Amino acid sequence: MPDLAVLDHRAARPDLRQDVETVDLAEARDRDLVAKVGQGDPDAFRSLFARYAPAANALAVRVVRQAHLAEEIVQEAFMAVWRNPGGYDPSRGSVRAWLMGTVHHRAVDLVRREEAHRRRATASIPSATEELEDHADRVAGEMDRPGERRAVRAALLEIPEAQRDVIRLMYFEGLTQTQIAEATGLPLGTVKSRALLGMRRLRSTLGGLAP
Amino acid sequence: MTLDHATIEELLAVRALGGLDGDDTAELDRLLASHGECVECRRIGDGFDEVAGRLALALDPIEPSPAIADRIVATEQVGAEQVSPRPQAARPRRAIAAVAVAAVLAAVIVAAGVVRNRPIPVTLAAGQTFVTFEAPQGGGVLTLAHTPGRPGALFRGHDVPDPGEGRVYEIWMIQDGTPISGGCVSPTDGRLAVFIDASLDDAEVMAVTLEDPSCPSAPTSEPVYVAELA
Repeated sequence: MPDLAVLDHRAARPDLRQDVETVDLAEARDRDLVAKVGQGDPDAFRSLFARYAPAANALAVRVVRQAHLAEEIVQEAFMAVWRNPGGYDPSRGSVRAWLMGTVHHRAVDLVRREEAHRRRATASIPSATEELEDHADRVAGEMDRPGERRAVRAALLEIPEAQRDVIRLMYFEGLTQTQIAEATGLPLGTVKSRALLGMRRLRSTLGGLAP
Repeated sequence: MTLDHATIEELLAVRALGGLDGDDTAELDRLLASHGECVECRRIGDGFDEVAGRLALALDPIEPSPAIADRIVATEQVGAEQVSPRPQAARPRRAIAAVAVAAVLAAVIVAAGVVRNRPIPVTLAAGQTFVTFEAPQGGGVLTLAHTPGRPGALFRGHDVPDPGEGRVYEIWMIQDGTPISGGCVSPTDGRLAVFIDASLDDAEVMAVTLEDPSCPSAPTSEPVYVAELA
């Protein structure tokens, strides 16, 4: 996993194998920022915003398909961080997962509230491969974490296309399992099992980062 | 994994992706409730949430309006703690005392054999460096991980003795003989984990002393942990 700033010095220092846990400097920095936000530190908030808002906005744009709505979602999500940083529970996972989960939930909720969603759901659905290749063509030079982006894309491309399609439709398109079953003609059980198998594979490839 | 856990795992995977709906939402709630404080359920769910959180990073970033951050910080926080800035460089009026203590730090470093038997920093993946502190007076293990050339360092410790009532551990970066505070910390059940948002590039030595909880801007005692940086 390149550029994840994850160290496992147990491997490098056999004498410490029993004593020291995996070190994740990037995550430690994030947690430090959240703690400082809890002290009302605006600079810490701006740092956290600069670090994750572009990815959060990209996710929201992807799900809701409207830039102004996406920015509203990002604003609401980060407003929640600013107002209640105690909502982050370090024992449940990374700051990144918490932030992206918050944004994703809000984006999905918004999409599902819209009457137009059903039309959108049954519209032409590009294949996952096509979509990922499209992303690869638009790799931005100013990406803050290009190594991580490459790693996640590579992990997605490693899983079978049928599983990748389900994951893309659920996560990036905001469709429910039932909507996917209706749109693709797959049995609901197949949709669920493909989601599970794909997530298992991604978990294995990307590694468990929960502390 | 039990049959229940197999079902739970499948539903948690779908939930992490945001696709759960219909009867399955209630079914997952029912299964989780029936498991009570289920460590395995939580581990599975948190793991899938972590994966889902990383999926967003596959997209090309899109910068939102920078005005959003300005609007947010302009609003009042609810229940925010008072900001308590970490002491920075030793104040001029305490410089003499600081330098004197720095000399003590240097003496202790030599006495502890840190210079003669310097712990060799281990350069690891992604250019990060890992250092183990010597403990001339302390106990347990204290380590430091940082990336040379970039700000930020993570201190971790285990089996660290309780500093005692009314005492805390204060971390120091020694630069040109001047100790600069990296903040104060107390162990919980012997464990420490603190991130210091500062550059260590100019620091020759790191030290930890026992101090008053006010976290003074210059050390007042001899170090209990020391480490020489590469």
